[in-house]
Amino acid sequence: MVKAGAESSSPSSAPRVFKPQMARGWWLRQRHYFLYIVREFTAVPLALWLLWLLYEIQRASTGPKGYYPPSSPAFVVFSVIVLGFALYHSYTFLSLAGVIINIKLFDKPIPSRVIVLSQFAAWFVASAVIAAVLIGFAR
Amino acid sequence: MAEKRITLRTTRFDPDKDKAPRLQSYDIPFSDESMVVLDALNHIKSHVDGSLSYRWSCRMGICGSCGMMVNGIPKLTCNAFLRDYWPRSITVEPLSNFPIVRDLVIDMEDFMHKLKSIKPWIIRKQEYPLGAGEHRQTTDQIDEFRQFSECINCMLCYAACPVYGLNNEFLGPAATALARRYNLDSRDQGIKERLPVIADAEGVWECSFVGECSVVCPKGVDPAKAIQQTKLDTTMRFVLPYGNREE
Repeated sequence: MVKAGAESSSPSSAPRVFKPQMARGWWLRQRHYFLYIVREFTAVPLALWLLWLLYEIQRASTGPKGYYPPSSPAFVVFSVIVLGFALYHSYTFLSLAGVIINIKLFDKPIPSRVIVLSQFAAWFVASAVIAAVLIGFAR
Repeated sequence: MAEKRITLRTTRFDPDKDKAPRLQSYDIPFSDESMVVLDALNHIKSHVDGSLSYRWSCRMGICGSCGMMVNGIPKLTCNAFLRDYWPRSITVEPLSNFPIVRDLVIDMEDFMHKLKSIKPWIIRKQEYPLGAGEHRQTTDQIDEFRQFSECINCMLCYAACPVYGLNNEFLGPAATALARRYNLDSRDQGIKERLPVIADAEGVWECSFVGECSVVCPKGVDPAKAIQQTKLDTTMRFVLPYGNREE
């Protein structure tokens, strides 16, 4: 990491050492760090959008008269951007499932690729089911 | 034909004179294509400046002593070839995220403390008498933990970990990988003694899966995998009925 500050300590019993500090822009130094920060950041607008959804659900509980879904172009653009973030976050999360999940079948470990593919398949099926339910209600 | 040369910029820090580390340039002959950064440092120490301090031992990627930042990337300098950098200059700095004792030498005390805290040895509730023979393991049982036992404690993973850089209380990649190595060993019965350290807030749960620790590991160990699998295991032990059972 880039050293950003000079901080030395010199306790009488220990040799004096230099303690480096991480620079604020450490995540800009490497592509890997940058993508990690992007991955983590995508959760922020996603959380904001979900908070708005909870608010809308609460308003809808009072009946159709209290429900005014926003339809401004700015909100649509924001929603599309959030959808992109959600897809990227989901992609990174599911791709890492192969590293995390360690399952054995007949005493043999299931290959990471199979686990990742099964995660994506489950994601696709769950999305299709939710879409079908929502479209069914809308009709 | 002019002699091929390469420039090394190395960190210099004398705790008795300097307030902060500085970089010093050395122009040295690049006489052999098989030269590594450690050879260049040895050349400087032998022929240019005998006061340059750094750690090294085996020169063959086994001891894990010569880890340094080479152009900002944690590497074993015995495995970083000059030919991969020439004709550009090479900047050699001490491993990131550790206090600097002198020049390229870091203070390993924190790492040694963390290593000891996870009890990296086989723990038995009751030892068999020697006459009972050896603890036998199948190939599958060895394969469970083998990759995590390849760690040479070079600390490159700690230098690559921004989480450790931001919070030195974090147990870190190598110590967790080693804890997993013993927890997966069929001969070991010490998981309950290690859990308070690895399942702590400053243990595996501090990790946010940057993954760079596994990228820089010179021995192909995957500490990020060890940490994430430990998260899953500790959660299952907590959630499932009888998950916290004695093993």
